[in-house]
Amino acid sequence: MTAVLDARGIGMTFRNGDELTPVLSDVDLALQPGELVALLGASGSGKSTLLSIVGLLLRPTAGVITIGGERVDILSDAKSSLFRNQRLGFIFQFHNLLPDFTAIENVAFPAAATSGGITGVMRKRASELLDRVGLSDRIDFLATRLSGGQKQRVSIARALMNRPELVLADEPTGSLDRAAADQVLALMREINREDRTTFLICTHDEKVAAGCARRITLFDGRVDDARA
Amino acid sequence: MFSFLVARRYLGSNPWQTALLIAGVALGVTAFVFITALINGLATRLTDDVTARSSHVSLEPADRVARILPNPNPYLKTEAVALVSMLQRKQIRTWAATVALLESQAGVAAISPQITGSAVLVRGEAAAPVAVTAIDPGNLDAISPVSREIVAGDARLNANGILIGYRLAEAMGLSVGQPVMFRTDRGVERLLVIEGIFRSGVQSLDERVAYISLETARALFVLPAGVTNIEIKLNDTGQARAFAQFLSGATGLRAIPWQDRNSSLADALTAQAQTGTLIQMFSLISVLIGIASALSLSAARRRSEIGIMRAFGVSRPFIASVFVVQGLLIGIIGASLGCCLGYGLCSWLATFSKPDGSLALPIAPAEGGYVLVIVLTTAGAVLASVIPARSAARLDALEAIQQ
Repeated sequence: MTAVLDARGIGMTFRNGDELTPVLSDVDLALQPGELVALLGASGSGKSTLLSIVGLLLRPTAGVITIGGERVDILSDAKSSLFRNQRLGFIFQFHNLLPDFTAIENVAFPAAATSGGITGVMRKRASELLDRVGLSDRIDFLATRLSGGQKQRVSIARALMNRPELVLADEPTGSLDRAAADQVLALMREINREDRTTFLICTHDEKVAAGCARRITLFDGRVDDARA
Repeated sequence: MFSFLVARRYLGSNPWQTALLIAGVALGVTAFVFITALINGLATRLTDDVTARSSHVSLEPADRVARILPNPNPYLKTEAVALVSMLQRKQIRTWAATVALLESQAGVAAISPQITGSAVLVRGEAAAPVAVTAIDPGNLDAISPVSREIVAGDARLNANGILIGYRLAEAMGLSVGQPVMFRTDRGVERLLVIEGIFRSGVQSLDERVAYISLETARALFVLPAGVTNIEIKLNDTGQARAFAQFLSGATGLRAIPWQDRNSSLADALTAQAQTGTLIQMFSLISVLIGIASALSLSAARRRSEIGIMRAFGVSRPFIASVFVVQGLLIGIIGASLGCCLGYGLCSWLATFSKPDGSLALPIAPAEGGYVLVIVLTTAGAVLASVIPARSAARLDALEAIQQ
């Protein structure tokens, strides 16, 4: 079976003038279809950097990344944008939704922005996703009128809009209270179980990590892989 | 287009700021319209004042030059030069054909073949030089509104009649019905009767000009067939130079547009137009700087949103287009509003008049350059939005999200 994600020998060194700061060194990471993986590590361990590299938001200084069988670390800016749009989903901790748009517009946005507008098919898909995350009664609410937990559920729906092979979540429960965090985690687990969507969740929350089938810990820029 | 929806939402998300921005554009455009309408109105008034009593194009006999003719004997090296006599009278002999040509031209409002010359009015021991204009009595007002300016007698020109200005009449003690000896620069004299006295309001005309009929002038100025000049009024004074050029080529006569006779006015109008253009440019530049700075602030304020969009794969051109469309919308709405305000302001100012009935402010509300300002403002607004659009599109997604 082709791995959803296959990253080999990933290295990342930041340069600040003459000063070089190595963050990741020779990291290997492979995710199979349908996996729910927690990426753990202390603050500064490089987990957000790794997530950004896997999400094509940052180009590694070393290594090769393949997603869904396609080598992606060498894609141009325009191609990596399109790849992110079509084949990856993102959930962030903060600033997740576009405040001037309704819940359904936020969900449909990734599809609409690349095809010139929100079509009926997109609206139907977005509506189904919002129904799935339990927000069918908030479809036409502006993002600013939603609670933190609701916003994060909308962002999960948005991440799924283009049926991605891999969803990358960066501290998705980090800014939520316990109840909302539990709801969001349960939702991601449900989607992973039912749709076999692969999730890579960057977190420092042990409870979130415990809910994942596999946990990868970064320590001093190196990987310690463990399966549940 | 989805970028239109996004741009509209962005503008709508902060209605007061957007309203202020559009108001700024509208005010700049209003200033542009006002200046344009004022300059055009002023130019029209000055032109009308200058050409009210004169033609827009004058046709005169061509200047005479000595022509070199081919030598009939090819074995002789000498060239035969035919000197056109400078003693011959300058006149337009083919004036009837020229008038027919003029009558066939669209844009010609009036045609007046004339004999002009100098004469002396003599009464007793008093004598006064006059500039004589001999015209067709049936077409008296073709060039100058003579009949409207008659203050005594009639605007009639029979075979013995003459019209003179009121200052000349006063100076010579002449009144309507009185005879006066008329002696031309050709040495011909005849007793004419004062048929009417006019008051143009222009001192030089009222002191020095006299009108007689064309047929009377033929004998007095010894011009049995020709005329000395043909005066033409056009519907559009701005076409005078081009029409003069056409006539010059078509008739071989010397065609003089009114601008050449009033070069200082033409220079003043040009200088005025250039000053107006500078003011228009500055008002547009201030509008465009306002748009660029407002959109730059908007782009800075929306860094995190742009970062999110870039993260889920929205392309850089799409991000840029959102800001360009904002500039486009601000430009179109602001320019349209400014045109309406400018037209309203100019129309209101045009209602004020002086006691004599003329406009207090020579403004032409219909000539505010509306299409030009809408096109310039919209195009400028789009250009002004390019800087913030590029800056937004270049934003690093990761950096923006982390902020």
